[in-house]
Amino acid sequence: MNGTQIAFLAVGIVFVLDIVLLLGLITLKAVHRHRMESHDQRRSTYLGVLSRRMAFPLHTDFIDPKVVSDGAFLDAVIDLRNTMAGPEIETLAGIIDRYGLVKLQAARLRSRFPLGRRLRAAVALAEMGDESSAPVLIEFLDDREPEVRIQCARGLGRMHHTPAIDAIIERFGKESPWVRSRFADTLVGFGAGAVWSLLAYIRVNHDHDDDNEAVIEAIRILGIIGERDVGPAIIDLLDRFHDAELKIAAIDALGYIGGPMAVTPLVGFLEADDWRIRNKAAHSLGEIGDPMANEALRRSLEDGNWWVRRSSAAALAGMSEGLEILHEALHADDPFARDAAAEALADSGELGKARERRESGQASKRDLELLSFMTEDALVP
Amino acid sequence: MSEAKKVLVADDSEAVTTLLVTALEMAGYEVTIAKNGDDAYEMGKSGSYDLVLLDHLMPGLLGIEVIARWQADGYEIPVIMLSGVDDERTIVDSLDLGAVDFVRKPFRLPELMARIRQRLRD
Repeated sequence: MNGTQIAFLAVGIVFVLDIVLLLGLITLKAVHRHRMESHDQRRSTYLGVLSRRMAFPLHTDFIDPKVVSDGAFLDAVIDLRNTMAGPEIETLAGIIDRYGLVKLQAARLRSRFPLGRRLRAAVALAEMGDESSAPVLIEFLDDREPEVRIQCARGLGRMHHTPAIDAIIERFGKESPWVRSRFADTLVGFGAGAVWSLLAYIRVNHDHDDDNEAVIEAIRILGIIGERDVGPAIIDLLDRFHDAELKIAAIDALGYIGGPMAVTPLVGFLEADDWRIRNKAAHSLGEIGDPMANEALRRSLEDGNWWVRRSSAAALAGMSEGLEILHEALHADDPFARDAAAEALADSGELGKARERRESGQASKRDLELLSFMTEDALVP
Repeated sequence: MSEAKKVLVADDSEAVTTLLVTALEMAGYEVTIAKNGDDAYEMGKSGSYDLVLLDHLMPGLLGIEVIARWQADGYEIPVIMLSGVDDERTIVDSLDLGAVDFVRKPFRLPELMARIRQRLRD
């Protein structure tokens, strides 16, 4: 063969290989589509059978025990589980129990299958939300794979299995920040049921090592849950915290939790040496919105730190009588206090309203003072 | 013998429609399904439904938009809204637009069926 013939032969072989590859891909795609359609059809059939059981528990449609290993049956059970609420779920729980769905997924989780298959088992257990899976989910909170641990915590949260809270918190403390944040979502979902265990965790761990990230996250969860009963306990802990970050987190949580009992301690923190603590205290007092803090916040308008002045003014802007104090502060001796008050009045919309009233000829003396201040100092556009 | 009452179930979740169709047909109602908001709107206009069970979050028109359009077109169709979104705004807006009831998902089937029976008796 000469060179030209060899070149033609090579091109021909490449062409044939391309065609074979293309046909292979088309076949694979067709097979996949067929499998998906078949899966969806079986799922629809199972949904029909299960729905008849749900709507009429004495219904006697036969369900072949072999379906337990069919992913379409599992999907149908999970779909219905997420559709319904109330005691009728017991009927579904009976089917899950009778057909050993939890046992099968637990066995898959315990197996040496690749991560993807074990993860699907963990997700299935989490989605089924069946109480009988709680011991397995607790067991696998210590799984070597973070995704599996996350799904186990999520499942326990979905079924609101409060006996698992301590185990979840223990694991939460050992996790990396990313996994911990997912555990935090679960703990928030437990609501008031988790707060005392979280407090116990904070008490035991707050000064044990240099890395307080998990404790800070636990405090943040308490703030999000917002259970007012834990307010006094957080105030008590604030005195024991040596780490400024912990104090800031606790002060922040108190702002979310609210209640008059937090006002006096927070006012005290407006005098703290660390400006970050003073700043957070002002912010939290604004969140609580109790006018008992008005005078202390007025004094903080003259704080040496810009952030503290700004937070104090913003807090006052959201309180009853706070706007009055800010207008008065426009005449303060301290120019920084005047600026902070003016900025807060502008941010709260007072400046805009004053301009509108001036344009309509209805500006009050206070409006004119504010407008004059803004024009003279031109600190805020 | 009286004619069966007609119910339109509009929801993109197959689990919801299958469950509701099964329960409603067992209770003797004639049921039709819409899989998205646009179909629900058109079917509501063309069919003489005694009641519509309307999901809020669907492909196409939102449930609340379907009610608003029926109202603008002059159709008075009794609607029970179903929704996983339970913010007060959605509930108030639905009822203000003329929905006769609002049921949160996931729902309790016997309670929903009782509400449906009550509406179809009125």
